[in-house]
Amino acid sequence: MSAPASSRHWRDPGPTALAVSAVLAVVVLFVMVYPAVYVLIGSFRPGGGLLSATGTFTFRNYVRIFQSGFGRFIVNSLVICVAATLASTVLSIMAAYAFSRFDFRFKRALFTGILFGQVFPWIVLINPLFVAFATMHLINSYIGMILTYTAFTVPFSVYMLVGYLVTVPKSLDEAAIIDGASRWQVIWYIICPVMLPGFVATATYAFLLCWTEYLFALAFLTQTDLKTLPLGLYQFFGEDNVDWGAVMAASVVTTLPVFLLFLPIQGRISPGRIAGAVK
Amino acid sequence: MRDRLFITTMLLPTVVLLLLFYGYPIFDNLKISFTDLSLLGMKRGGNWVGLANYRELFRSGDLGHILFNTFIWLTATSVILRLLIGLGIALLLNTRAMKLLRLAAVSRFALLIPWATPPIVAVVIWRFLLERNGAVNEALIKLGVVDHPIAFLADMRTVWPSLVAIMLWNTVPLIALSLLSSLQTVPDEYYEAAELDGATNWQKFRFVTLPFLMPAMLVLGLMSVFWSFNNFVYVWLATGAGPGTYTNVLATEVYLKAFIDFRLGYSSAIGMVMAVIMGAFGILYLRLVARQQLEETL
Repeated sequence: MSAPASSRHWRDPGPTALAVSAVLAVVVLFVMVYPAVYVLIGSFRPGGGLLSATGTFTFRNYVRIFQSGFGRFIVNSLVICVAATLASTVLSIMAAYAFSRFDFRFKRALFTGILFGQVFPWIVLINPLFVAFATMHLINSYIGMILTYTAFTVPFSVYMLVGYLVTVPKSLDEAAIIDGASRWQVIWYIICPVMLPGFVATATYAFLLCWTEYLFALAFLTQTDLKTLPLGLYQFFGEDNVDWGAVMAASVVTTLPVFLLFLPIQGRISPGRIAGAVK
Repeated sequence: MRDRLFITTMLLPTVVLLLLFYGYPIFDNLKISFTDLSLLGMKRGGNWVGLANYRELFRSGDLGHILFNTFIWLTATSVILRLLIGLGIALLLNTRAMKLLRLAAVSRFALLIPWATPPIVAVVIWRFLLERNGAVNEALIKLGVVDHPIAFLADMRTVWPSLVAIMLWNTVPLIALSLLSSLQTVPDEYYEAAELDGATNWQKFRFVTLPFLMPAMLVLGLMSVFWSFNNFVYVWLATGAGPGTYTNVLATEVYLKAFIDFRLGYSSAIGMVMAVIMGAFGILYLRLVARQQLEETL
């Protein structure tokens, strides 16, 4: 399909329509792109380029944030998010395989519950979880955060993965089982290779959800050396004044991996599917 | 029999995890809401106070204001504008003109930028642009629209429109791209039939395109209600519920009462109000979205 089907049947636009469309498109482009580019440029200017009109190019903002311990937040975020993503992806593949291959009692109820988990307000869970974590010494702990992020990415991951797995014909599994393979071997040797791009896309998105999560980190991490990147970013906002240069640089450092990971997978993530996962 | 053991093994870890992190907390939250548990006295535990927290909540003058902010600004305004602007952009990108101008592909790419920007960073970007001496004020002064810079996020007249603008910048692309992909699945024959009947462009839009988009708009609208209503980060990070508590919403109130005022019991009561409201939306979600998702997926 070379042209979008629906556009072929509209009359060809006259010059006025073309001009209006062009202006509208430029406005949309400008509003969408300019803010992000402005911050990117600001991160290389003293003070974020706010007060001074001097356009001197500098890496000093970046040097400064890493001198003030920003690297520590990156390490914390990496440890927590990678561990949580791995755990949540493994659990989700297991659950999604069962959902896509078998019929069992309570299947629909269980799946509905998982769908519901996607839209549940996390803020309502914060008090009871905080109380429970405090008694189990899971406040200010990697383990606590990893468990939390695993639990909160599972509903989305299961839903995504079931969607992928139902597209793999069951006959593939059955043929292998007749040949003497176990279910685990089927998953490892047949499903995983076939579904790898889908698994990677799901895991990547789960990772990004953790990477940018703010609320749980805010409540459960109060010790500076354990804080994650989103908390680190906002510590440059002081009570009265903001260190804009540092904030800009920290924003770029936070967002760069997001763009690098998100752009390759965005074609596989249908917006409808992730709509519920946006928090 | 072997299958049953296998299915149980596969599902058990997920089910246990979800029960621990969703099931148990929601009941515990209800329990905490009947106590005067304090963040500072958790070892001692809270005393049972019955419905006192709820009584206080419903008598407090703040609740009406917070509900108004949550429903009208955070949810209704942002959801309606998001759908309208998203639809507008989708329609624009789908026109012949965009194709002829070779702007369709580049515009789609441009939409990915705000979409991929994490909310925590989107707020940073706009706090910077909306600063007293930031780019927006600079532009407005140069254009002669205003004489003095506006403190967009500190002035009561501008703070809610500014917050909504931040949310829209970040979330409209998702809606626009979704609707654009729906637009491109409208079957040609529908338009051909409409042409045979001598339909104008407007009639084609009104009677072919729009009905075709309605299911997608409904799902996106409802999901959008969920993530707006529940959202904590936009308001908290952009204004901290301020100036004063002017932009306080249910989610920030739960956090404020628990972690700033240390009143876990009272905060949990607010959480229950939120959960009940979400439960009502949840029925809609089950009827309109979850059932459809279930059919499509399983």
